[in-house]
Amino acid sequence: MKYIDYKQLNPFQKFAYNFTDFFKKLPGRVVGFFKAIGRFFVKLFTGIGKGVANYVTRFIKGDFAVKLSYLIFGFGNIMKGQIIKGLLFLATEVAYIYFIITFGWDNLSKFGTLGTEVTQIVSDGPFKKTIWGHNSMLILLYSVVAIAVTLVFLFIYIANTKSAYKLQQLKAEGKHIMTFKEEIKDFLDGKFHITMLSLPVTLIGVFTIMPLIFMILIAFTNYDRTHMPPGTLFTWVGFDNFADLVNVATGGKKGVTFIELTKWTIVWAVFATFTNYILGMVVALMINKKGIRLKSLWRTLFVITIAVPQFVSLLLMNQMLQVDGAINILLSDIAGQTVEIKFLNDTALLARATVIIINCWVGIPYTILSASGILMNIPVDLYESARIDGAGPIKQFTKITLPYMLFVTAPSLITQFVGNINNFNVIYLLSGGGPSTEELYQAGRTDILVTWLFKLTMNQQDYDLAAAIGILVFIVCATLSLITFNLSKSMKDEEAFS
Amino acid sequence: MKKIIAGVLAVMMMATAFAGCGEQTPANGGATGDVAGDESKTSSDVELFGEEDNISLKVWGPDKSVDLLKRQCDAFIKLYPEKKISIEVVAQGESDAGTQLLNDATTAADVFGIPSDHINKLVRAKVIQEVAFADEVKANNSETIVEDATRDGVLYAYPETADNGYYLVYDNTVVKEGNEKKLETVLEDCKAAGKKFIVSAGDGFYSCMFIFTAGLKTDGIEDDGITQKFTDYNEDEVVATMQAFSKLFHEYSTTFQSLSADKIPSGFSTGVCGAGIDGSWNVVADQTALGDKYSAAKLPTITVNGEDKQIISMFGYKFIGVNAATKFPRAAQILANYLTGEECQLQRAEELGWCPSNNVAAQSDLVKNNEAISAIREQAENSVPMGNVVQQFFEPVGNLGNQLIADKTDPSNTDYMKELLKETLQNIKDV
Repeated sequence: MKYIDYKQLNPFQKFAYNFTDFFKKLPGRVVGFFKAIGRFFVKLFTGIGKGVANYVTRFIKGDFAVKLSYLIFGFGNIMKGQIIKGLLFLATEVAYIYFIITFGWDNLSKFGTLGTEVTQIVSDGPFKKTIWGHNSMLILLYSVVAIAVTLVFLFIYIANTKSAYKLQQLKAEGKHIMTFKEEIKDFLDGKFHITMLSLPVTLIGVFTIMPLIFMILIAFTNYDRTHMPPGTLFTWVGFDNFADLVNVATGGKKGVTFIELTKWTIVWAVFATFTNYILGMVVALMINKKGIRLKSLWRTLFVITIAVPQFVSLLLMNQMLQVDGAINILLSDIAGQTVEIKFLNDTALLARATVIIINCWVGIPYTILSASGILMNIPVDLYESARIDGAGPIKQFTKITLPYMLFVTAPSLITQFVGNINNFNVIYLLSGGGPSTEELYQAGRTDILVTWLFKLTMNQQDYDLAAAIGILVFIVCATLSLITFNLSKSMKDEEAFS
Repeated sequence: MKKIIAGVLAVMMMATAFAGCGEQTPANGGATGDVAGDESKTSSDVELFGEEDNISLKVWGPDKSVDLLKRQCDAFIKLYPEKKISIEVVAQGESDAGTQLLNDATTAADVFGIPSDHINKLVRAKVIQEVAFADEVKANNSETIVEDATRDGVLYAYPETADNGYYLVYDNTVVKEGNEKKLETVLEDCKAAGKKFIVSAGDGFYSCMFIFTAGLKTDGIEDDGITQKFTDYNEDEVVATMQAFSKLFHEYSTTFQSLSADKIPSGFSTGVCGAGIDGSWNVVADQTALGDKYSAAKLPTITVNGEDKQIISMFGYKFIGVNAATKFPRAAQILANYLTGEECQLQRAEELGWCPSNNVAAQSDLVKNNEAISAIREQAENSVPMGNVVQQFFEPVGNLGNQLIADKTDPSNTDYMKELLKETLQNIKDV
């Protein structure tokens, strides 16, 4: 459809057109998404290939010192006069070899089986003595550490060969070879980005990436309640845990529960996200309205709920909603007779509605905060010219305020939606999953997938299943958010409104 | 018979205590050994330490008990002047001790307190050491408590207290004397006074009494370590009992309230609550709220098909375990045994209000004169131990309680009750 045709449609037709257009293009976008992932891997592997090729050429073209530095770190540097740098390279090699001999190899060699010796208990008179076998969890953990250290070591190794070859070239060209002092100085100047970023990168590597790899690996083992180290070993099981999940989704009562809870999770995420967003925006608009007095007071009053930790307000709300809670007492006083509404314990509908409404109370302040910030930033002249052109308040809202808001907040809306799919706190602390029912397996009517999985895994120590679920949820959420984010206007048209 | 054993044990305790004071500790265990069925050595014999010397041990106990534990450990050290022993007492909540131990047994305490429902996972991970003085423990404690810490015929922990359960607490101006024996009369009295009767019926820990009372009890775990076993039961009887409970709660719907047990002490202090089924950990709160009006009793009976049935509850115990990774297994075992001995249990009963598990300690005047402790102990005899219950048990059974009291449920609908029972059992077993 041409632009001019589109402009002539009425709003309903426009909506219908956009709606069908979205679904028509969706498959292509999903494919595009996976193609992008494919491209990333192609790039990665060609990069590695190129690296290896360079590595070989450097060896062939290098002189004796360069060739020897392929075996003895820093040899090239020392021969060309960079003694301290060369010694540092050598020290790394020695340290790494020491690390592997004393610690790394012991664990890495068991990485394939995750240990074979089982812990045994022997008698010692009336006493017992435990002879410890292998601890699969520690083997896995230390192996990940050893692999990470090896990767860093390889990086230094390549840097060492590169450095040696570069020195050879510099010498051949008769150029100045930097002294150690000059090189250190360079880190404050030409290589300043390395100085700045090395600490954060190391910290992220140690505290985020390594634990993440460890947890991802657990998804491929049978680390569950019947395989608990140090008493028993666990081992690799490949994709069995993921297969189990599919079984969960198809077999018996677990299957029914899985489907029921998925439905409710989606309903919950949609409602929780959009009620907060819309209501928060309405309140923010009202506060920001011209002629409202004491704006900052109202804003503070609404936002003050944030000052109370979320879990405290949720637990308090839980108490207030009980049959003897404040809300029922209040209702009794108003009605003049005993009112005992079981908000969280009676019917599914009532409990679900209650949970969504309480979530508004917890979540709206955040939307008010961000919305008022954005609203104050909309240029006033836009509204002025709109008024001159004869636009009423509703027209102004739909044509100026809403597009502007959506443009700025689309990414955060997506985050909120994903966050609500995994919104553990509100459900677990407020209703605990209740009202209970015998129709679902180990779950209540307001349980969403995460809280159900928490009950299934944490109470029973099925860490393998939990890790597998975590990976699946991550893949689904990441795909969804990337696709929707790429579709949003804020991504396509970054320069607008600025 | 009990009294004789008790007497002998008391004498034995005195003897060991005196022996500890002397410079020499002669092997005085002949008589004791017979009682305990052990091989002629008491658990306090210094020879049992074997080669171990320069012993240093770490003990974990809940915050409240640290002070007392320190004193008890000092007393233990004085018992063995020949050995060099140092003991460090560290506060560590009982509910976290098991998790800490699983995380890294080598840095965990050598001797630690745990609730009975943690024993399963510790045994599976082999981080808890078998009890060395099993015969002595068996002789000194009731069968149920020993069974609670026994897996495959092996005892894994020393019983410390017998008080992780619930009992009937009531305002004695509301429930008339003698009426606390029957659930029907308790409810009637509460209704007459316009007060509430509170039970946490939606919590599996409490609502299990609706099926236990009818004879459907948990009976350990299958060999796979995951599946719950049950005793044989008569379905009609279980259904009839469920109906009886449901009918009572519906009849007294204005009096009966299903709320968490913590609402009972607050209900007493606001005057809303007349009676309730409350946990032992709330004893002090209940006593403060009610003052002179405080009364405690074992759980009442309920009339099913014209027959009065004692309500059966779930009961947990607290144990002291020995870390399998300890460097001094012998010393740790001896210390754990000492800490769960009669003397230490009595001290705990006196200073902390913890109900003793030891048979002799339980017979003491201190315990007998304490209304709450004796009510809890009485209920313990009509209970099912908690340690052998799987985690999946609680949610479905809690739901069973919720459904029995739900407004929409018709207590006379036998088919529904049967279906509910069937679904509940399936939900516990579905793996």
